Amino acid sequence: MHECHNYTTMHSRRDFLSRLGMGLGGAALATLLNPGLVSGAAGPIAGDDRIKGILKRTHFVPKVKRVIYLFQSGGPSQMELFDYKPLLDTMHGEELPDSVRKGQRLTSMTGFQNSLPLARSIFPFVQHGQSGAWVSDLLPYTARIVDELCLIKSMHTEAINHDPAITFFQTGSQIAGRPSIGSWLSYGLGSDNENLPAFVVLITKDKGGQPLYSRLWGNGFLPSLHQGVQFRSGKDPVLYLNNPDGVSAGSRRKMLDRLNDLHTLQHEALGDPEIESRIAQYEMAYRMQTSVPEVMDLSDEPDYIFDLYGNAAREPGTYAANCLLARRLAERDVKFIQLYHQGWDHHGGLPGGIRQQCKETDQASAALVLDLKQRGMLDDTLVIWGGEFGRTNYCQGRLTADDYGRDHHPRCFTIWMTGGGVKKGFSYGETDEFGYNVVRDPVHVHNFQATLMYLLGIDHERLTFKHQGRRFRLTDVHGEVVEAVLA
Amino acid sequence: MPKRILQTTGLLAALLAMLWVGCADGDEVDFNHDIRPILNERCVVCHGGIKRQGDLSLLFRVDAMQPAESGKQAVVPGNPGTSELLRRVSHHDPDERMPQEGPPLNAEEISKFRRWIAQGAPWADHWAYVSPTEPERPAVSDPAWPRNGLDYFILARLDQENLAPSPRADCPTLVRRVSLDLIGLPPTPEQVASVCDDSSSARYETFVDSLLASPRYGERWAAMWLDLARYADSKGYEKDIPRTIWRFRDWVIDAFNQDMPFDQFTIEQLAGDLLPDPTEAQLIATAFHRNTMTNTEGGTDDEEFRVAAVIDRVNTTWEVWQGTSFACTQCHGHPYDPFRHEDYYASFAFFNNTADWDQDNERPTLPLFPEGNEAEGLALLDEIEAIEKRMIEIASTPEMEEARRAWEGQLDDPQVVGKVLGTRQNEVRRIAQTPEAERDDAQRAHIRYIYAEIVEDEQMDALRQERRAKQIALRDIKPILTPVMKEVPPTQRRTTHVFERGNFLLRTEAVEPGVPASMPPLPDDAPRNRLGLSQWLVSPDHPLTARVMVNRFWEQLFGIGIVETLEDFGTRGLPPSHPELLDWLALQFMHEHQWSVKALLKQIVTSATYQQASSVTPEVLERDPRNRLLARGPRFRLAAEQIRDQALAVSGLLSDEMFGPSVMPPQPPGLWQNPYSGARWQTSDGQDRYRRGLYTYWRRTVPYPSMVTFDSPSREFCVSRRVRTNTPLQALVTLNDPAFVEAAQALARRMLDETAIGDDPVPVEDWLTTGYKLALARDPSAETLFPLRTLYDEAAQHYASSPDDAAAMTGQSTNPELAALTVVANAILNLDGFVMKE
Repeated sequence: MHECHNYTTMHSRRDFLSRLGMGLGGAALATLLNPGLVSGAAGPIAGDDRIKGILKRTHFVPKVKRVIYLFQSGGPSQMELFDYKPLLDTMHGEELPDSVRKGQRLTSMTGFQNSLPLARSIFPFVQHGQSGAWVSDLLPYTARIVDELCLIKSMHTEAINHDPAITFFQTGSQIAGRPSIGSWLSYGLGSDNENLPAFVVLITKDKGGQPLYSRLWGNGFLPSLHQGVQFRSGKDPVLYLNNPDGVSAGSRRKMLDRLNDLHTLQHEALGDPEIESRIAQYEMAYRMQTSVPEVMDLSDEPDYIFDLYGNAAREPGTYAANCLLARRLAERDVKFIQLYHQGWDHHGGLPGGIRQQCKETDQASAALVLDLKQRGMLDDTLVIWGGEFGRTNYCQGRLTADDYGRDHHPRCFTIWMTGGGVKKGFSYGETDEFGYNVVRDPVHVHNFQATLMYLLGIDHERLTFKHQGRRFRLTDVHGEVVEAVLA
Repeated sequence: MPKRILQTTGLLAALLAMLWVGCADGDEVDFNHDIRPILNERCVVCHGGIKRQGDLSLLFRVDAMQPAESGKQAVVPGNPGTSELLRRVSHHDPDERMPQEGPPLNAEEISKFRRWIAQGAPWADHWAYVSPTEPERPAVSDPAWPRNGLDYFILARLDQENLAPSPRADCPTLVRRVSLDLIGLPPTPEQVASVCDDSSSARYETFVDSLLASPRYGERWAAMWLDLARYADSKGYEKDIPRTIWRFRDWVIDAFNQDMPFDQFTIEQLAGDLLPDPTEAQLIATAFHRNTMTNTEGGTDDEEFRVAAVIDRVNTTWEVWQGTSFACTQCHGHPYDPFRHEDYYASFAFFNNTADWDQDNERPTLPLFPEGNEAEGLALLDEIEAIEKRMIEIASTPEMEEARRAWEGQLDDPQVVGKVLGTRQNEVRRIAQTPEAERDDAQRAHIRYIYAEIVEDEQMDALRQERRAKQIALRDIKPILTPVMKEVPPTQRRTTHVFERGNFLLRTEAVEPGVPASMPPLPDDAPRNRLGLSQWLVSPDHPLTARVMVNRFWEQLFGIGIVETLEDFGTRGLPPSHPELLDWLALQFMHEHQWSVKALLKQIVTSATYQQASSVTPEVLERDPRNRLLARGPRFRLAAEQIRDQALAVSGLLSDEMFGPSVMPPQPPGLWQNPYSGARWQTSDGQDRYRRGLYTYWRRTVPYPSMVTFDSPSREFCVSRRVRTNTPLQALVTLNDPAFVEAAQALARRMLDETAIGDDPVPVEDWLTTGYKLALARDPSAETLFPLRTLYDEAAQHYASSPDDAAAMTGQSTNPELAALTVVANAILNLDGFVMKE
């Protein structure tokens, strides 16, 4: 913060040039990617408040330095993956008893069905590891790392439709307008990397399924520099990163040097510190032109890494390649790495659909955990796997011997976490024997968010931003840290 | 503090004292200055609008004077000794002492409370809720400096701070500034020359008038208004499918261009449909509140998202016109400001009786038929309406009513309810579960309507088929359907209830439309509907509307509002830098200018304050880094639309085509991921690639990337203030976005084409000067030309030996001179001075 104050005061031209000559070291870069140091006239509120909003130090000793969130968009079925319900095998095809449903409203996609037959998982479950966690055959790789995982089987949410549900998970509110988790972290903790954004978004390419919205990685009412930056496979990994045709890196450097000369002249004439900041932004942009392609270029990864993540990792834009890329970003201390993999919305044709989804994600998700571990990074990284809600224990559409579907179900679903500060080989929470309601240790979305913040050293009630006279936070007015999952 | 002001405007004086004097001493304690800040900071978290611990709230005087749960009275006016508040804040026992959180109050704070109570504990309203009164023109050190009334307030304050105003900006800089401010586009070199050949004030004023008369003016100010209106070309949720509502955008442009008085502008947007014999334009104006999002996702609950839209209308109305964070009161009483939970729903009631209900078809809509089809289209609409009326008549017969009641009893059967469209099922069930006698008119009409839609009955079936045929015929005419506001008929009105903790399923007491008791009352003769509400907002004694609006316009010109928190004038917002000026401008706007925005803007841009140079010395920068005192002119980055428009304008690419459906200029491929909506970004052809930014298609879930990078909002909700940032991603846009590269290429061609041939065989400096002047409105100094020349020489040398690179750079020819000029143009379009208003 002190740097910020000093930086906005005038320096002699000599100071100024010598700092430029030094390649814009600490002070300048701090204002580039370091959140909150919004220069000049910008600023969410007045000068003082702007600085107060940033954490000078974390509230608790942080357990992790960064987060990789493997978001499985569409609502993966807990019944087929982690939440083993033998009763469904015996009651397969029978009606969901009213005593279980308790008159709770259904989504109107199955509300009209004249029958709500319970559907077993056609994928068998086996216990794995020391912890003996039940995992289905769909996830052979995840099954092997199950002793690393903290499974939360008692997640529940308030929303029943995709848009409100995913918006709720990622911003703490079902209605658009709040900052996303990553932008809160960028705002609160800043960046540990001088050449990359604090918050990077990776989306599996060419997937069908539920749409994703930029508000999920948006800044809400925080300054826009906190929004997630999407890294894309292909020619322009960050929008407009490449020089125009006909401009080489060398000639771009020359152009920027002359631009710097002109800006220095202008700064001398006008004295506006915003000009210094602009010079720094251009230098940062230039550095990103090198640092982003460098991090996205997987060609220096050895074969055994591709063996670990699966061959799909060789193809840019796949989930596997994004998992590997996530590790590379984590190595460079990007604070929040948000992956999205769409296609889990299996209202019908669930067996075929989920088999394909697992084929695309299982190996790479597990590989990421193993890879972080072998590098000693699992101790200070948090990895999260999960979707926006679960799926019903009864069938949507026609139930046949080998095909069925499941509707949205907000009352229980499973996610997993692993990494620093989290219990390993641990399962938390329990659903009833039908897999319909939580019966023990429910974890609300806000509690999950509070826990995530806690692991990063943040008191979720104290990272706030004043907007329209109110101090907003990720967890709205709710949320409690789930202490039982902490190591 | 001069005594004079204290006598004339006590509240303002208190505020001034808060700003300037720091810590007041002496006997007199002022509530707003001395007491409210302590209450807000230390007390109301537990004893306020949200929590009332011990049944004590310190938000309203009446509450503070009542016995709390303990039976004791917190504040006994005139009697510090029996006031529980004083006893508790000064208690020696930490368990008894208040506040329980944080350090105890210090001796000075306790002394303030004691003296205040002894003086009778007078309460005072927050300045923003008290109507402005005409402030006296302050005395200034240099009576020759002010050019109009507002300058006195600025200079008086500078005098107090011992600061001097800056000299007038040089003419080209000023011409560029005012042109960017009033029309959002830079001046042409010819315009600069015509004003600056003779820099008399008269020429400047004439130029200002010409800008205000330009059709470009409406486009520039519409861009500001559309953020407030959360205007977009899509519905916002999930698939985010397209919405056709651009006629509202065009209405806003027109309204600004015609200088529609702001009171009328307000009334037409909030209640145009309720005016007598509304014109088509007045109906289009009401689309302001149809910019709320519509949820078309399968399996949603229409009533839930209808309510969400009404909530958004309430919040937006209060934010736009009142600068008030009224949204807080959706769930509970306001934590700091004098608004109660019930007040929210009294406001909600104004908006709760429009006919829209989160339907995919966006009804009610206003059709615009293609020429030649009007008669046919209108006839079809009438016929459809008649059929639906007939259906309801049939559904209202005793036999049908009886059948409906039986059907209601079977709605638990999935097969029965399954006939109802999915997104309507939950509301139908809720109504069916409400005893008939307890239903309101809307619920009665709604379930009858739903039944009419699904009942198996020969007559109904025929009617529905007939309607379907007519709907198809109507669709085939391809009318442009603009969503508009329309009140439901009197027989279908909804009763508004307070929602417990803001949850629409938890209805408590019924409320009538109304305004908070802490505000001026609705005029007696005003109707209790949106029309009455809008008339109230622009009534002359309303304390907020004019202040909030002049502050918005001020912020657009100076980069920071007199009240910096444009969106919050409440006790938690920031206090005004120049409170008397704010009041003076608000009164001028209402009375002198009769709500004319053009007159207000002209007044500001012809002031001496506005015309100051924006350069700053280290001393002044240290004293006033954010230019709150205005000892210099404004200097800040242009808005997203202006950055695009300016690049297109100086390169000669800009289209001056106005109005019509939104356009799709090139954007990077693959941004629109549309698994099942089928919407595609279809890049526009010809002139439509070069339209002004405000015509760019605005999809809420995937907004146009270069605009968002420059801090434009997603338009999912109302945004008062774009927080300006400065990021590397912005540099990448202006350096590499093909739209900006194309602008550089075009600017380079202009540099060649528009430079007069002189004696010099290779007039490089002249080319550079032409380009610089086109972009920045002034001649480059010799010092500035030098780096440009170096850049040119280096580039020209490279391109002479690399014709392929040259062709890529120019986009056409291998001419190394043109390629080098393109590099220079690219640099010029990236100058700080180019993206900034100076």
